[in-house]
Amino acid sequence: MRRHTARQKLAIYALTLLVMVFFLGPICWFILLAFRHPSEAYTLPPQLIFEPYLGNFIDTFVEPGNNAPQLVNSLIVSSGATLLSLPFALSAAYALSRFAMRGKEFIMNWYISLLIAPPIVFVIPYFILMSWIGWAGSYQAMILTLQTLAIPFSVWLLKSFIDEVPLDLEEAAWVDGATRLRAFFRIIIPLALPGLIVTSMFTFVFSWNNVLFPLVLSRGSTVTLPVGTISFFASTGVYWGHIAATAVVAMLPPMIIFLLLGRYVVRGLTFGAVKG
Amino acid sequence: MGRPGKFLLGGSGLLNRSTVNKRLPYILLAPSVIILLALILYPLGFALRNSFWFWNLQTSPMPLYHSGWDNFRMVFLVTPFSEALKNTLLLAGLGTFAQFWLGMGIALLLHTHLRGMGLMRAVLIMPTTLAPVVAGFLFRYLLEPKGGILPWLLKGLGVPVPPQGFLGNAGTALFSIGLVDTWQWTPFFAIVLYAGLLSISEEIKEAAQVDGASGWRMFWSVTLPLLRPIAAFLVMIRFMQLFNSFDLVYVLTNGGPGTASRTLSFNLYREGLVNYNIGLTAAMTWLVVIIVSIIINLYLFFVFRKREW
Repeated sequence: MRRHTARQKLAIYALTLLVMVFFLGPICWFILLAFRHPSEAYTLPPQLIFEPYLGNFIDTFVEPGNNAPQLVNSLIVSSGATLLSLPFALSAAYALSRFAMRGKEFIMNWYISLLIAPPIVFVIPYFILMSWIGWAGSYQAMILTLQTLAIPFSVWLLKSFIDEVPLDLEEAAWVDGATRLRAFFRIIIPLALPGLIVTSMFTFVFSWNNVLFPLVLSRGSTVTLPVGTISFFASTGVYWGHIAATAVVAMLPPMIIFLLLGRYVVRGLTFGAVKG
Repeated sequence: MGRPGKFLLGGSGLLNRSTVNKRLPYILLAPSVIILLALILYPLGFALRNSFWFWNLQTSPMPLYHSGWDNFRMVFLVTPFSEALKNTLLLAGLGTFAQFWLGMGIALLLHTHLRGMGLMRAVLIMPTTLAPVVAGFLFRYLLEPKGGILPWLLKGLGVPVPPQGFLGNAGTALFSIGLVDTWQWTPFFAIVLYAGLLSISEEIKEAAQVDGASGWRMFWSVTLPLLRPIAAFLVMIRFMQLFNSFDLVYVLTNGGPGTASRTLSFNLYREGLVNYNIGLTAAMTWLVVIIVSIIINLYLFFVFRKREW
């Protein structure tokens, strides 16, 4: 590794500090907003020291707490979308990882083209379809349509994990007389379990952070938390205290999950293409 | 077929297995492919049919009459389609460019491996973990023309701030959306490119050093070409995500002022779910699908031709 002179070190640390302030400062400032009294949202010059106020959280999550059910809705939709995608993605990822077949590259590209296609194109017809079949505003409408993102993503990421399970182990199991199915459950599942967990965590976060599908397909009692926050930009005024309190709660699960994911973050964000 | 293997492996099921094996991968792929095809072909078919029908959801729950190519003409006459296309390409192009090079700079900072860089790498990713709408809330607060901290800071530094704020000014609205997206996604480029830097072997670098390469020369001729596969992938993903921008536009500017910051996705949303002009939206959907397919295929053709997944 290259050695740095003291002056170089100073320059690097100064630059690093600048980078950290630029990228983390806005988040910290917004978290502070959630603890400010609404009348102090716009105090200039900015006040770093102030008396913390919990009213914003109490109003939104406790009493009257209109946003508490939305938090539950977010949990239901994100977990539902994650659980539904897993069996579909797992079998496809196993096939793509373990078999030589024609058109494999085409299929992989097809999955990724779904991930980068504009979701708005799909969501308007879904909106009309769901009201025709009586699913308008239902959880299942959101959970099902989110699969257009959840399945292709999970196939890619899971394949990268299954690729890493040595084929020898599976073959040894076949030699011992295990069927392919049995070998799959005895070898692949346990060895790719970290991969399954990592994939589920990412799918959960992406579904949690998705706003377009719930915005269009939810209704009253099924609204998810980030969509609920949008309603605080009302024609009667912008309720910054309530916006900040609900948004801070909405951003906690993804932040915590990313910290837990540690070294898998790079791999997940690149759909398994970069190992990291 | 498989006879020596049968003897070697001793299992009587092998012959059986190999015939099943030909079909098995397709059977395993089928559930995901079928559900995805259904979820994609329905909207595309829906849009194809209705693009030739007059249908406004406010006047009728069903398409009213066959209208030929009218909807396609109306896309350009009634909605700011070309402006939205220009905005979208500008946002995606400039945004991806800025994020890539800023991310590369930060990756090189991380790669100095000075004390504390590990911690920086772990927390730097936080903006990327946010939902895009949440990033939107954050910057609407920071950019608020009266009382927001950013206009206040910039005024203090002598930078002119438009009286309607950066989000309310036609000249700066789209640029501000790009800036928020850059804030959110530069860390993503930084940590992935850093992972790429780590994967470049010391031997190659030493060999280049022996040949007299150092500093910039080393970066341009050795490091950057080796990062090309990762960079190509990142650029494609981010370009398309920016191309599809909806959440940030919705929260930050609502496409405004006027139509100054409308993207193609937002234009579709406005026509379809605000004006309920389903026929026209269907025609626009197909135009967008064609544009996106051209971009993706060009990219796959030129960049990924030789890539083995």
